Amino acid sequence: MSKRARRSIISWLVLSPLMVVILFPFAVMFFTAVKPADEVLATPTAWLPSTIRWANFVEMWQVTGFGRALLNSLYVSTASTLGALIVAVPAAYALSRFEFKGKGAYRQFLLITQMLSPIVLVLGLFRLSVAVGLLDSVNVLVMIYAAFNIAFAVWMLQSYFATIPRDLEEAAWLEGASRFRTVIIVFLPLAVPAMVVTAIFTFINSWNEFVLALTMLRSAESHTLPIKIFSLVAGRYTVEWHHIMGATLLATVPVAIIFGWLQRYLVRGLALGAVK
Amino acid sequence: MSSRLAPAYLILPSFFLAAFIILFPLWDLSQLATHNVNRFGQIRYFSGFENLLAVLDDSLFYQSLWRTVLWTVGVVGGTILLSFPIALILNEDFAGRGLARVIIMLPWSVSLTMTAIVWRWSLNGQFGLLNKTLQDLGIIGEPIVWLASGATAFPMQIAIGILVSIPFAVTVFLGGLSSIPADIYEAARVDGASPWQQLRTLTLPLMRPFINIALVLNVIYVFNSFPIIWVLTQGGPANQTDILVTYLYKLAFRFGKMGEASVVSLIMFALLLAITLLYTRMVIRDEQTR
Amino acid sequence: MMPLNGRLAAQITAASAAALLLGGIATAQAAEVRVTVAEYSSATGPYFQEAAAAFEAANPDTDIQIEVVPWDVLLQKLTTDISGNANSDLAIIGTRWLVDFVEQDVVSELDSFMDDDFRNRFIATFLSPSVMGGKTYGLPIAASARAMYYNKDLLAQANVDGPPATWDDLVTTAKAISALGDNTFGYGLQGNEIETDVYFYYAMWAFGGSILNDDGSSGVDSDAALKAATLYKSLIDDGSTQPGVTANTREDVQNLFKEGRVGMMITAPFLSSQIKTEAPDLNYGVAAIPSGGANGTYGVTDSIVMFDNSEVKDDAWAFLDFIFQDDWRSKFTRTEGFLPVNVAVSQEDHFQNDEDLKVFSAVLPDARFAPVIAGWEEVADTTVRALQRIYLGEAEPAEALATAASEANRILGK
Repeated sequence: MSKRARRSIISWLVLSPLMVVILFPFAVMFFTAVKPADEVLATPTAWLPSTIRWANFVEMWQVTGFGRALLNSLYVSTASTLGALIVAVPAAYALSRFEFKGKGAYRQFLLITQMLSPIVLVLGLFRLSVAVGLLDSVNVLVMIYAAFNIAFAVWMLQSYFATIPRDLEEAAWLEGASRFRTVIIVFLPLAVPAMVVTAIFTFINSWNEFVLALTMLRSAESHTLPIKIFSLVAGRYTVEWHHIMGATLLATVPVAIIFGWLQRYLVRGLALGAVK
Repeated sequence: MSSRLAPAYLILPSFFLAAFIILFPLWDLSQLATHNVNRFGQIRYFSGFENLLAVLDDSLFYQSLWRTVLWTVGVVGGTILLSFPIALILNEDFAGRGLARVIIMLPWSVSLTMTAIVWRWSLNGQFGLLNKTLQDLGIIGEPIVWLASGATAFPMQIAIGILVSIPFAVTVFLGGLSSIPADIYEAARVDGASPWQQLRTLTLPLMRPFINIALVLNVIYVFNSFPIIWVLTQGGPANQTDILVTYLYKLAFRFGKMGEASVVSLIMFALLLAITLLYTRMVIRDEQTR
Repeated sequence: MMPLNGRLAAQITAASAAALLLGGIATAQAAEVRVTVAEYSSATGPYFQEAAAAFEAANPDTDIQIEVVPWDVLLQKLTTDISGNANSDLAIIGTRWLVDFVEQDVVSELDSFMDDDFRNRFIATFLSPSVMGGKTYGLPIAASARAMYYNKDLLAQANVDGPPATWDDLVTTAKAISALGDNTFGYGLQGNEIETDVYFYYAMWAFGGSILNDDGSSGVDSDAALKAATLYKSLIDDGSTQPGVTANTREDVQNLFKEGRVGMMITAPFLSSQIKTEAPDLNYGVAAIPSGGANGTYGVTDSIVMFDNSEVKDDAWAFLDFIFQDDWRSKFTRTEGFLPVNVAVSQEDHFQNDEDLKVFSAVLPDARFAPVIAGWEEVADTTVRALQRIYLGEAEPAEALATAASEANRILGK
């Protein structure tokens, strides 16, 4: 057996207990989601349903208003990601290309913004959103999510920007291009991959946020996915677990796929940006 | 634009957005904390330290504080201890590494609330699939009602906390490992260093800053983490799983003590600030010794 | 900052319009009435949407906005809303919270809108908890009481003739059913989340105790309370309840009952309607809660209130007047499985002839409501904490109850 083959087997064996635990909830979601309603709470408990009932998903979609919540989540996540990028890209550029007073203070500030969790601030944020007249509007979430994502976005972007060679920009200056023009023509095209990765990260954070959405959103039409799913569990007189698991699965799988696809880009940016 | 002011123009938009969203509520909280506030958060009159004293007089506050320490140390400690070897393995070249990485990262892509809901369902004493699986495997005889007491519920919550924190720590560590140039290992091998010695004398010191950042960010997130405990037990039974955030939430929204809840918020912020300052000094000392 | 499509732009406009209204700058447009409703089941939202549409069709000048909120977060939501001066015009609340709302002057009295004719639509027992100091602050929208469900087949297998009439009978019946084995449990005992304390009051009331003494101090350290707690603890120790009591919410116990694995449990009428759809073959009956010398069941109402800062009180009232018509009330009460609060509805065949509902109507004279005291939620929480410590075996009943009573007295200022 080659050395690599042996290493592969050992690696998988060592990781497998953890993988089982990680995949366990996904298996629970799937098998509960496709069970006929009367088997969900059956005795004895069983993993496998008697028949796989795909129609559960269709019912769930209609009963819970899943489509509307999906659109809301897509809008909030996309808009807050754009918002975070629009302010984070210049800041990250400044951190990676300039030496200036207050650089350290700004980094400290970013870390502090990470220290205040939404639950601690929720009352203040609520009063703020009333003050600006955006209650029950998904746009207030857009602003808040963008703000909470700035620190990470700046960290990640900056670490990528540091790897983009200065030579190209300097060559453009020598040819007489202004700094601004250089950024647009030379720098930004090179930074696109970094921005894509950062965008995915902030997108997922917004996609999954719960506490703030719960506090700010009023009407069912404005609910995002986590709220929609939570409202199926919280304090109803009867909980329809197969619908909940179906909804959870549908809300999760697309994100998991994108995430899995792009995780290798996350690795570099996140770590380097946070440390440097 | 003049190049001396350029950094300011570039940084200010992000600064203003973050400050507006984060510092204004902080100011608002300090108002609530020092005033008599009715249960609907309407400020009545200045009351100085009354709210603070009420919090410091509550034995549940100290219980929750202590459990927050256990929770944070348990989750962050477990996460770091597990994530480091996982990152070492995932940094090696082996067949199917891409897939292995994706699986390890999966919990990150699920909202904490949804994870907690799924686990609550799985941990149900009578209908839960965890008991069913453990019984089928012969690991347990009788079903365990996991959430019936803090003795079984809290370790379970810490375990779930670790599970969802692993992806972030592994990501940071993998980034760190990839930044270590391969040739220094070559040199060490030539000098006859065993893999264990390489790990101790090369990898660990070089990974110091990455371990630091993973520690601090994890401490911040875990300390403030709400959904796992809230969805699974709401801090019960008999307050056996209450941490500061769940205590705070109950004070504010169940018992209507907004002023006291704001005090708890500010105490939590002060604790985190102290931890972070400690971290910053740690990093500075680190850089000086290098 | 970012492009908006038309719908979202419209949403923003609507939100700012609402903000303007709240700020006191009334516009000449259609009046908007915002209604916060508690989500009892998946049918709640659609019911209110339908009622709103019907009302709007009859009153084109009024726009009804229904905001559906899960029960678990209703109080939090109302709190933040009021704190931010962004509350709706009408809201459903648990009547047990009403006293806090009244004391802080956030809800409006409704007597000026009501005539005797309107008042007489209600059954007096259910309207009275919403009346404070002679003024009506809420209208009962949902009412419920508690009775004992029992599984006839399990009782027969255990050779028990009928449902227990006393708590002593209940102990022997529970023991006999649990002895059947096969994962069946005699008495379903709720020990977690909403109404854990109430499950204990059933026995306490039966032994002659009460939540508050005549002087307003806590009654959970009375002899009756001690007897009830000791009885529950002995049921747990004998294996006559389901295992892991402190993890079991009302819904968990109901699920076990629907599966035919619990012999007896005490809960609300809505379990009947759930059984009809989810477990139609279950052979069950409903009886009064066992007696222990005295009788008592829990009566509970939810009320719909009007906030004092509403700018559209007349329109809001018109909507209330509309949904409190008999046919709308009848529809709501039936779909959600509540007890009728309107006299006319209670006389419908459905409510007169249903075997289960008859039992609930019969126990109503013994119904006790949550005490009308500020800070009730916190007092109830101290009781729940004491009970959970007792059930877990962490504390002796007498010690835990004494602690709970002294804490409750501190909160009550007694």
